[in-house]
Parts: sequence; structure tokens; C-alpha cells
Amino acid sequence: MQRRLSPLPPALVAAVLAPAAAWAHADHHPGGGFVAGFLHPITGLDHLVAMVAVGLWGAVLGPPALWLLPLAFPPVMALGGLLALLGMPLPGGEVGIALSGLVIGLMVLFELRPPLWLAALIVATFAVFHGHAHGAELPAGAHPLHYSLAFVIATGLLHLVGILLGEARRWPGGRALVRLAGAGVALVGLWFLVRALG
Amino acid sequence: MSGSGPTAMLWSPLGSLPLAHLVPTGLGPWGDGMARLVLQPLDLLLLLALVLLALQSGRPWLDRLALMLPLGWLVGGLGGLIVGVELPLALPCAAIVTAMGVLVTLGPVLRLGERLGERLLLTAAAGLPLLFGLVAGSSLAGHGGALPALLGEAVAIAVVTALLLMALDPPHPRWLALGLRVVGSWIAASGLLMLGWLSRHPL
Repeated sequence: MQRRLSPLPPALVAAVLAPAAAWAHADHHPGGGFVAGFLHPITGLDHLVAMVAVGLWGAVLGPPALWLLPLAFPPVMALGGLLALLGMPLPGGEVGIALSGLVIGLMVLFELRPPLWLAALIVATFAVFHGHAHGAELPAGAHPLHYSLAFVIATGLLHLVGILLGEARRWPGGRALVRLAGAGVALVGLWFLVRALG
Repeated sequence: MSGSGPTAMLWSPLGSLPLAHLVPTGLGPWGDGMARLVLQPLDLLLLLALVLLALQSGRPWLDRLALMLPLGWLVGGLGGLIVGVELPLALPCAAIVTAMGVLVTLGPVLRLGERLGERLLLTAAAGLPLLFGLVAGSSLAGHGGALPALLGEAVAIAVVTALLLMALDPPHPRWLALGLRVVGSWIAASGLLMLGWLSRHPL
């Protein structure tokens, strides 16, 4: 008996191809819109490692920090963005961003567990620096809400990546892996710090 | 979308303005209106925040929300069409969305559902869509096919609200309850950035 083809594969192909066709026409201006906002935190290594590190550290700290840090980060980061958009300068922005990778990476590497308020304060302080940099770079031609939404979602997803990586601690050898990831983040942070100060 | 002469010259820059008007999708005014919910997502964020707040409050008026939200928005939108002049309320709307996001984020901690009371929540669920609809309607007023576009967006709002309420029917497992609060924090963050952008580039 000849096997009937399920309608799913063609539908799946159409579903996969359709968004590509739509996006191809959606945004000719690379500085604007959802795609640019989504790519912004992902394509900057300094931002990327720090966002993942927040999730990693949350996993090391465990609940409630596990969800509190990623919950608090986006609004505080946006507050930094708001300051930038209002024209308020933040001295040492690049240094602050580099320090965020270095400090949080070291926290993960050495599995440091400060009190929750202190952990939140550290993360919130760095969030302001990251947000300020993002806000200052928000392109004038971009659709602000698309850009902001995508940028916040991408940041949140990076936290989630960090949390999921951090969950590897449950497995044998996972703890060492997470500490290694922390060391990597710290090294990247250090590299950016040297560049910022140099 | 109207076509020729000065109107056509005006259309192109208007299409790129934030919060404004209709983006042509090729599906006619009805489809443009439906797409507006996603392409100009301030209404979508309000909708999401209201649904999440309602879900967190645990009140028995979730079913009413599915009707109140699109209906309130549509009535406001019709009012906006009658007003006929674009209302400069983008900044207050962004501030409201930000505040709603904060409420969703902090809601369970502060036990807002109990503190705010059903009457206040109901007033918000009815009044805010009315305001946002008014703003949307007023921004569409100058366009050809404004009424079908408005109806299209109202239908999209009704469908999305119903789907969200259906998919997120309480009680929630702990991870989902936390996830909803994270969405609230994302709404608040987006609203804050929007506020900053609007302060720098007033419409």
C-alpha cells in the first residue's frame, strides 16, 4: 500500500519559508525595527557574556535569586536606557559594562553567594550601565517599540540561556562546567576592561 | 490607503512614524487593521498586561474581560474616528503600559488583586482599552478605509484576548506564574524605553 503523505511537511515548509519572505521586505533599514533590536544585545560580545552570566549566577545562587535577577534586570536596564535617552550622561560606561562581565564572571567562578539584596544591587548597578549604552545607541530611525521589545526579549532570552547552562550543575561534572563558563565570562570582561582603560 | 498627489507624498514618511497609522500589508484596510496590532504593538502590550493582571488577580471576571477589552477598544476607536484629529497621547499611553508592566511584575508580591479591588480592576479593564482605542481611532481618522481597519484591529484584539485567556487559564504552575511576571517586567522595560524615545523624539 502506498503511504499517504501527511499534509504537515508542506505546511511546515510553507511556515518556515513564509516568515523569511515577510522579513525580507520588512526592514530595509538595518538600524531600525525588531530584527535590529533583537540582534543588538546578541552581537555585542560584552553585552552577551554579561547577560548570560546573570543567568548563570542566578543558577548558582538558586531560588529566589534564580528568578529575581532576570526579573529585575530588564526594567532596571531600561531605566538606564531612559536616562540615556533623556540625555543624562553616565561616566565610565564602557568600564562599567566590562566590569559587569568580570565581576559576575568571578562570582560564578568562585560560586560566591552574597545576601540577596547585595546580589540584586550588583546586578542592578551593572544593568544601568548596559541599559545606558543601549539607550544611547537606539537609532533615531528605528521603530522604538519594536526595537525596545526585541532588545528586551533578546536580553531575557540570554538570561534564560545562562539559567539553563547553570542548571548543568545538577549533573556530574556540571558544576565544573559552570565554573569554567564563569571563568570565560570573567576573561572576556577583563579583556574589555583593558580595552576600555587602554 | 489613499493614493495620489500630495496625499501619496505624505503617506510615505507617515508610514515610518512610530505609533502612527497603518502599515500597508497588501491585505486591504481590514488586514492592515489586524496587522496593526502587531506592527504598532502598544495596544498589544496593554492587552497583554491587562490579561496578565486579570489572571493574577484570580477574579471571576476573566470571561468578561474577553468581551470588555475588544468592545471598549472599539467604542474608543469609533470615538477617535469621530474626533478626527490625531490625539497627542502617545506619551501617556507609553506611561500607562509601563505602569501596567510594573503592576504585573509586582502584583503577586504586593497582592494587588486583593488590594486594588474588583471595581478598580474592572474600571481599568474597561477604561484603558477605551483610551487606547480613542488614540488609535484618532490616528486612523485621516486614512481611507479607517473604519474597516478599526474593525479589523478590534477583531484581532478579541481573538488574541480569547486565545490568551484560554491558554493561560489558572491555576498556574509555579514556573508559569514566574514566567508571566517576567513578561510583565519585559512590558515595563519596553514601556520605559518607549517613554525615553518619545521624550527625545516628540511626535
